[in-house]
Amino acid sequence: MLKWIGAAVVLLILAVVIGLSVMAGGLRGAYGMVRYALPHMHRGTLRVGDDAPDASLLALDGSSRFHIRERTGARPLVIVFGSYT
Amino acid sequence: MQIYKDYKDHADFLTVYVREAHPTDEWQMKSNVKEDVCYAQPKTLEQRVAIANDFVKRFSYPTQFGIDDMSNAANDAYAAWPERIYIIERGRIAYRGGMGPFNYHPEEARTWLAARYGEVKHEASTATPDQKSN
Repeated sequence: MLKWIGAAVVLLILAVVIGLSVMAGGLRGAYGMVRYALPHMHRGTLRVGDDAPDASLLALDGSSRFHIRERTGARPLVIVFGSYT
Repeated sequence: MQIYKDYKDHADFLTVYVREAHPTDEWQMKSNVKEDVCYAQPKTLEQRVAIANDFVKRFSYPTQFGIDDMSNAANDAYAAWPERIYIIERGRIAYRGGMGPFNYHPEEARTWLAARYGEVKHEASTATPDQKSN
């Protein structure tokens, strides 16, 4: 019985590694995804209709600040989150 | 950024820079090396500001731009990393995009705007393909 459980666990791990490798473009990518991406990826709890959270942001000049809420007016505000890399 | 070009007369746009997705000291992508987009994960807000400015200058990026604090407050509030789009209307979430990269679909935001303001299509943008937002 233990032998079968062990084999199933090994197969499961293998399937996960292969799946992640396919998604990430290789073993190194799979490691990067598990080590650096997954800990920071969260679905979040916001839903359509919820109050939009506010946050303070730094402007490109590196000194002035503004709040997301200040940029919401009569028109819809499209917020795009991202980075350079 | 075609969606901005098409709908800037109807909606406001704000881009928020959050922590890097593929820095050199974490999970770097070959495509970033090829495109000379090689940055270590910023450890200070000044480093974030510098990278954000590089991005804006390189692509003549047109929208309002904000940089998340090192506490990642905006990122945490919106579960934004690595990339995500929201539309806020009258202080409420009107559209919530999926979590990138696999569920990042800017065309859904375009569909939302088109449903509200009709289809708008200006001359195609000449922005380079590695621009994050459409």
